[in-house]
Amino acid sequence: MHDAAGTVSARLAAPLDEAGLIRAAQQGDQDAFERLVRAYDHSVLRIAMNLLRSPEEARDVYQEAFLKVHRNLNSFRFDCSFHTWLYRIVTNICLDHLRRRKVRKEEPTIVETSEGPVDRVTQLEAEAPHADPERQMWNRELSGKIEGALGGLTPRERTVFELRHYEGLRLRAIGEIIGTTEEAAKNCLFRATQKMRMSLEAFI
Amino acid sequence: MNCAEVNRQIPLYCYGEVDSETEERIESHLGECLACQDELAKHRSFLELMDQRPHAADAAGADLDSLLVGCRSDLRRAMSSEAASTGGSWMDALRGLAHWHIPFRIPVGAAALVALGFYGARFTPDKFGGTRASVGDPMFSNVQSIQADASGGVQISVDEVRRHEVKGRLADPRIQELLLSAVHEENNPGVRVESIDVLKARADSEQVRQALLERLTHDPNAGVRIKALEGLKPYAGDPTVRRTLATVLQKDENPGVRVQAIDVLTTHHDDSMVGVLQDVVQRENNNYVRARLTRLLEDMKASPGTY
Repeated sequence: MHDAAGTVSARLAAPLDEAGLIRAAQQGDQDAFERLVRAYDHSVLRIAMNLLRSPEEARDVYQEAFLKVHRNLNSFRFDCSFHTWLYRIVTNICLDHLRRRKVRKEEPTIVETSEGPVDRVTQLEAEAPHADPERQMWNRELSGKIEGALGGLTPRERTVFELRHYEGLRLRAIGEIIGTTEEAAKNCLFRATQKMRMSLEAFI
Repeated sequence: MNCAEVNRQIPLYCYGEVDSETEERIESHLGECLACQDELAKHRSFLELMDQRPHAADAAGADLDSLLVGCRSDLRRAMSSEAASTGGSWMDALRGLAHWHIPFRIPVGAAALVALGFYGARFTPDKFGGTRASVGDPMFSNVQSIQADASGGVQISVDEVRRHEVKGRLADPRIQELLLSAVHEENNPGVRVESIDVLKARADSEQVRQALLERLTHDPNAGVRIKALEGLKPYAGDPTVRRTLATVLQKDENPGVRVQAIDVLTTHHDDSMVGVLQDVVQRENNNYVRARLTRLLEDMKASPGTY
């Protein structure tokens, strides 16, 4: 299982005086702000890519998120950890993107093919010259179904599932990030897994 | 623990998200129930299946780093242009208001802040993403790429946004979906206020109430937060709403919003809130808000101090 929580913890454990950097950035120190960005931007981009599966949208989310952090850094009062605050901003922006897609009934990385729906991102990997043929076959058959199942979730359910399953975040942290309780995050995760299991029943 | 309870816990159990007591009870049940063992095995298969989905970032592979370089460069450019265009704006002055000391003798100051937040949301200027009048069609367009060929032809990729009208009744799920989406319309606080104003009639729906609670705690605009409070007023007795109101009193930076939260709390007396209110009144630095909290505590026959 992918676990980025460890990566985040490792970054936090690195010799980085985060509170000092935040305070300096709050005073207008652009270098301090840039160091903060570089400490987290890889994680931010990965979360956006995984949630939206669109490099273009991930790029928009990255910029929007850090501009928002820059504009609102003075209101950060250390009530929660910086990465929780940042992830909250990032997931809210991703949620907005997902909601807009739902309204427009879009799922931009999924395309219809003669073999059924296929995830364009996975297809790119499968078509790469170095790709293993068996894995190519597996990806083609399954990825569309999995993406279809994820596309059937509400934006909130999808975010909770992605953050728990692929980012390895604890539900308590996820609750904080999406602005709800741990209990509500648990219920959301339960609904998400139930819906997906029903969609993927034939493969389980 | 019966089978239904165990089945509900299995997803959490697989992620290690249950406490040790629950874990023991699940395992004890699993030890003697074949049906639940089967359910657990199926759930693990599902998780393994999901693990085989390539990470989008992994799938993008070598491109992720170059994407990151592009993102950093975009960000630097955007920050430079923002810095050039927002020196000493009235938004800075507005931010300063949060730190003003409002004398108790002039409670109208708090009302002015409420009004400022509320009307500010409706009339935020275009510079900050406010409502923009539509003149041409399409409203916005963005050139994404340009390709010239040897014969003198040019191919231009343009993203366009066009406005169209959707009409319907509030009971219509599509209308509700659009309104719920508008509640998060980041660039236009006026639209957020209007959508909350319409949606509050449906606050009996869990989804709408969740949206109002989310805006109340996360919207950067005080006018939107106040509108969300209005919508939640009839649900002041709901424990989740009350917990959120307590958080607003503890954390919201805008005294006008805190005053409105007190007004909502006043509509439903709940002795279990006394401790929270006593804690808040001790930390409140705004004289008017503190006086309102003291009055509320007196109405609840409680002292303003914890002693």
